[in-house]
Amino acid sequence: MDVQEAVAESSHVASADDNGDGKRDGQRKFTMGPNDVLEGKLVYDGHVHVDGRAEGEFRVTGNLDVASGATAKILIEAANVTVKGVVEGSVAARDKLTLGKNARLSGDIVVRRLQIDDGASLNGHVRMGDFEQHGSGG
Amino acid sequence: MTLSSTGPAARNRTSAPAGNGSDGNHSSVVLGPRDRLVGLLYVEGDLRVVGTVEGELEVTGSVEIDDGGRVTGPVTAHDRLVVGRAGSLKGDVRVARLVVQDGATFIGNVSMGKAALDAPPKPVEAVKPVEAVKPAKAVEPVEAAKLQEAVTTPEPVKAVQPVKPVPPIQATKQADRKTQPPDRKRR
Repeated sequence: MDVQEAVAESSHVASADDNGDGKRDGQRKFTMGPNDVLEGKLVYDGHVHVDGRAEGEFRVTGNLDVASGATAKILIEAANVTVKGVVEGSVAARDKLTLGKNARLSGDIVVRRLQIDDGASLNGHVRMGDFEQHGSGG
Repeated sequence: MTLSSTGPAARNRTSAPAGNGSDGNHSSVVLGPRDRLVGLLYVEGDLRVVGTVEGELEVTGSVEIDDGGRVTGPVTAHDRLVVGRAGSLKGDVRVARLVVQDGATFIGNVSMGKAALDAPPKPVEAVKPVEAVKPAKAVEPVEAAKLQEAVTTPEPVKAVQPVKPVPPIQATKQADRKTQPPDRKRR
């Protein structure tokens, strides 16, 4: 699986294969910078680091983290999701969702494990346990 | 059942070994591992749940659910709600701050912020549903009365059948024919 659909407006968006950040757990990493913008649907085999502004749908085989200061209006599906910025949209974490102390998440979440640090903000429905994928596969 | 920490009964309810008490207007209530609450609990202070709660919790301070504590029902914490790694919460939550430790079980809606806390009423509203149950009982006799009426109404339908008197006229003619011969024979 690879990047199938993505609309990016950036000169900094790059995968680890290109910029030499190195693979993490043997998986590639798609990294956005603080000034990057990504709008659309991203299906990625590896890890994704979201910074800047993102809108759309992200389906990732590895982990996805939203940096502090990032703003994302996205549907997220990933193994582990770590949010330190602002996210508006539903989140499905096949394993664990972590909300950092400055995180703000508005949306429904489906997780196997959940960790919310003191100071984080959450508005939405939480469901834990059996994981179900979202409707469209991509 | 409605409990309020402001009354002495609330403190007597909890048989937890230690931790329960009141410092002026600020209570500290602990539901121990063998404690069980079914109903509504309002605490002006902090609450720690290590036992089982089935009902509604509202606390002006903080709520902590841990060490096997299980809560099923809505929780309102005006300060902070902590669901520990060995805690379980199934219910909607309205809190100012929320901490969920890795390993905790949590299912429900989360509403955070002052707006979420300002909107809801106090336990006074919990009394209303109890009153609302009473009129439900009053409905039952009304239904029973309808059943009695339903039983009585078919009877007048049978009373309408007196139209049957017409066939007896034919029956009498036949009866006359049948009855006459034997009479003649007898005579």
